[in-house]
Amino acid sequence: MEEELEQKYKSITRSVPRVDSEPKVSGALKFITDMKIENMLFAAVVRSVHAHARILSIDTREAEKISGVKAILTYKDIPGLNAYGAIVPDAPVLAYDRVRYYGEPVALIAADTEELAREAASLVKIEYDPLPVIRSIDESIASSAIALHDNGNIARHTIIKRGDTERAKQEAYLTLDRTYRTPFQKHMFLEPEGGVAYIDESGIINVFAGGQSPYRDKLQIARSLNIPPEKIRTVDYPTGGAFGGKDDVTVQIHLALLAYKTGKPVKLWFSREESGVAGYHRTGSEIHLITSVDKEGGLLSNEAQIYLDTGAYQSFGPTILDVSIETINGPYRIPNYTINANLVYTNNGFSSAFRGFGAPESNFAIESMINELAAELHLDPIDIRLKNILMTGEEGPFGNTVRHSDGLREALMRAKRSKIWAGALQNKKPWQRNGVGIAVAIKGVGFGTLPDYPTAAIEIATEGKVKIMFSNVDYGQGINTGNAQLVAEKLDIPLNQVEVRHADTKYSPDTGSSSASRSTFTSGNALLMACSKALDRLKMEACLYFGTTNEKLEYKEGRFYYKDKSASIYELAKGLKARGETLRFESTFEVPRYPAPIEGTLEVPHVVYMYGTMLSSALLDELTGKVHINQVEFYADIGTVINPSIASGQIEGGIVQGLGFAITEDLKYDASGKPINNNYTTYIVPSVRDVPDIYVEFIDSSEELGPYGAKGVGEISIIPAGASAAHAVYNASGKWVRDLPLLPWKLI
Amino acid sequence: MDVSVTFTLNGKQVTVKAPAAKSLLRTLREDLGITSVKPGCEAGECGACTVLMDGKAVTSCLVMLSQVEEHQIVTDEGLVKDGKLDPLQEAFVEEGASQCGYCTPGFVMSAKELLLEKPNPSENEILEAIGGNICRCGAYPRIVSAIKKAGGEQH
Repeated sequence: MEEELEQKYKSITRSVPRVDSEPKVSGALKFITDMKIENMLFAAVVRSVHAHARILSIDTREAEKISGVKAILTYKDIPGLNAYGAIVPDAPVLAYDRVRYYGEPVALIAADTEELAREAASLVKIEYDPLPVIRSIDESIASSAIALHDNGNIARHTIIKRGDTERAKQEAYLTLDRTYRTPFQKHMFLEPEGGVAYIDESGIINVFAGGQSPYRDKLQIARSLNIPPEKIRTVDYPTGGAFGGKDDVTVQIHLALLAYKTGKPVKLWFSREESGVAGYHRTGSEIHLITSVDKEGGLLSNEAQIYLDTGAYQSFGPTILDVSIETINGPYRIPNYTINANLVYTNNGFSSAFRGFGAPESNFAIESMINELAAELHLDPIDIRLKNILMTGEEGPFGNTVRHSDGLREALMRAKRSKIWAGALQNKKPWQRNGVGIAVAIKGVGFGTLPDYPTAAIEIATEGKVKIMFSNVDYGQGINTGNAQLVAEKLDIPLNQVEVRHADTKYSPDTGSSSASRSTFTSGNALLMACSKALDRLKMEACLYFGTTNEKLEYKEGRFYYKDKSASIYELAKGLKARGETLRFESTFEVPRYPAPIEGTLEVPHVVYMYGTMLSSALLDELTGKVHINQVEFYADIGTVINPSIASGQIEGGIVQGLGFAITEDLKYDASGKPINNNYTTYIVPSVRDVPDIYVEFIDSSEELGPYGAKGVGEISIIPAGASAAHAVYNASGKWVRDLPLLPWKLI
Repeated sequence: MDVSVTFTLNGKQVTVKAPAAKSLLRTLREDLGITSVKPGCEAGECGACTVLMDGKAVTSCLVMLSQVEEHQIVTDEGLVKDGKLDPLQEAFVEEGASQCGYCTPGFVMSAKELLLEKPNPSENEILEAIGGNICRCGAYPRIVSAIKKAGGEQH
C-alpha cells in the first residue's frame, strides 16, 4: 500500500521532517516569549485572592509611588467592551464589581523591570466582600445556590430527542443506569501563556503572543480597545504547546491595552504557578446515562444527562457542550435517545477548549457504558461494537449521512486480531494483574454546521520559491509541514521550494483557528484552490510566452511545455511581475456543512468525521493500586495520511495526554476555591516512564472532500483513552471505575 | 549585590556581572542571549532549561550564577559545530522527536550527558536520563528512538 502511494504522490504520504525541526532541535528557534525589545516594559497582573467576592474598592495609590511603574490599569481604563470570550463574552477583561474565580485579573501593571512590576502589583489594595463559593455542579444547580451571573448558574441548557426512549426501555432486555465523571484537565503546555506587544511607526498595535486563533484574538482585542481591527496585528508562531488552552484570549487583550496606554513595548509572561491559577482547563463532567439494549446487544435507546462545569465563565463552553452532545451516542445506530445537556457555572477556575473539546468527557461515559453492557451480556466488547456501528450511507443519530465509516469496522476487525487483545501478558509479577481494554472514538472535523470560510494564499516568488500563507498556527501539530507538502504536490515542485509564512495577520489571510482538528482540511483545501488559481493564471502567461493562445499545455515539475519550449512558473511569474500584476493568489474554501443544526444544538452534526480505535493493556499493582498502561494499539481513520511520521506523532502524543487524563491528572480546588495543584510536582503529567509501547496503524481511507483525501488528526487519539484504560483496569481488577482518573485508592 | 563571574559557555570564556543568586537560566537568557534554555517552571520540575555543567546535565534554573565560576557550560546551541547539527540533534530531526519544540533543547542536553558517558546506552538508561524532562506534546516514543539512533551512530 505504502509503495503504491509513493508512486502515486511525490510529496504527500511521505514522512519528511518538520519544516521547522532543525531550528527547534538546535535551540535556534526564538519562541515568542523569547522576544526582547529595547526599552520594553514588563507587565504583572493583580489577581483576585478570592474565588467569589464583591469588589468594594481598588486602591492603587501605594503602587503608584513605586518609581519605574509606568501604568496601573483597572476596569476604568478599558476603552471598549470590558469582556471577552470566544463564544459568549462574559468574562471581564479586568474585574469591576465582582470576581468569580481565584486568580481573576483585577488590575494591570507595567514597569521598567519584572521585579518592580511584581512589587507594584503586591501593593494594589483590593477590598473584597467574600461571597459563598460554588465548588461543584451539584452546589451550582441547587435551588438555594447564589447566582453567579445574571442568567443564573446554567449557562446553557438544551434537550435533544429522537424516538421514544420510554417505550424502548420497556421493551429492552437490559437497561443500565450509570453516572460517569471526568476531572478538570490542565493543559500544562511547557511554554506558559505570554507575549509582547508594541506600537509600530504606522500606529499598528503588534501583539505577538502564543495562541491558536490570530484573527479571533484580533477581533477580541479590537472590541475591548475600541479600535478598528485593521489597527491590530497578531502573530502566534512559534507557540510552545497549546492543546486548546490558548484558543481563547490569554494575554492578548492585556498586552494590547498596556502597549496602547503606555505607548511602549510591553512583555507579559505567566510563571508556571500563575498559569496554574489564571490559565484555562478542560471542563469537568458528570454524565448520567440510562442505556438499553436487546438480548443480542443491539442498542435501543440512550438517555443522557450531561453536565459540564465551565467554571466562572463560558469561553467555548456552549460549543464544547455541543461536541459532548454529538459524542454521547458514539458512532452507533441508536434509534431512540434523549439528551439533556447543561453547561454549568461554578467558581472552579475557568474552563475552555482542550483537545477533544467535550468529546473525551462524553466518550468516557458512552464507551464505558458499552463495555459494561458487553460485560453484563457476556458479549465480546468488539462484537457488540461491530453490531452497533453505523455503516457508510446510513443516517447517523443526528441526521447526518455517514461517510467512510468503514474505517471503523476495519479497525475493529484488526483490533480483534491483535496480539494484545488475544492474550494475557506473560511474565508479570505475582502481585500484578493484567487486563486489556477497548474504546472507539468519533470526532467531527471542524465546526459542524457553523459557516466556515477559510482563506489561504500562495505567492509565486520570482527567486524560485512559493510562499504559502494561512492563519492556522503550528504549535507542534505539524500543519506548516503538511501544508507545504500539499502545495508541493499540487504544483509538482520539490518541497524545498515551498516556504511557509507563519501565522501572522500581516501576511496570512484568515483561515480561522488551529482547533477542532480542522487545519489540514481547511487550509489544505484553500491552499489547493489557490494553487489552481495560480496555475490557471500562469498558463495564460505561458501561452503569451510561447506565442500562442488557448493551447492545451502540458504541465509538470513546475514547468509548462509547448512544442519544444518550456517555462518554469518562476520565469512566468517574472513576466507578471514586470507588468505589475499580482503574484499572490488567494482562495476561500467553503467548508461543506449541513444547512442547519438539528434542533436544540448550535452546530451538530458534522459532515466529515475521524475515527479511532484504542486497545490498552493495563498492569495493575494489587498492593498499591497503581495502574500502568504498558501497551497501546491505535487504529485511526483520518483519511489520506499527508505525513505518516507527523500524523503518528500526533496520535502518540494524544494517547500520552489521554492516559494522563485517565490515570494521574486531576486539578483540584480547595474549600475556598483556590487551585491546589498547579505545578509539575503536584499536577502529574506523564513522564517517559509512564508511556506505553504504542503501535499506530492507519486504516486505508480517503475523504474526497478533503485535500487529497485527508481529514484531520489532532484530537482523535485523546478521546478514547479514558474509557479504554478504565476497561483495561476493569479486566485486571473486576472493578469499574466511573470517575477518572484511575487513582490507586480507587483500586485497593 | 552584583558579582562578576567568569565561566566557559559553549567553548568561549564569558564574564557576567549580575546578582550572585541569579539563576544560570536567567543569566543565560537575559545577559548572554542564549534562549534555548526555557523557563518551563523555574523550579527544577520540567527539565526544559537543562544544560551541561562540566559534562553533567543540570537544570539551569536551580544553579546560581555564583556556582558556575570557572565551570564549563554547554547549551543546545553549543552542540552545533560549524553550522552542522550534532548527530544527536540530527537524530531528533529524523525521528520527528520534536513537536512544539519548547522542551526539545532540554531533552537533547539530558540525552547528551548520557551519550557522553555511554555512547551505546540501554533503553533503561535512556529512560533514566530523560526521566526528569517533560514533553507535554507526548513525543516521548520518538525522543527515545532518536536517542537510540544517535547512540547507535556514535558507537
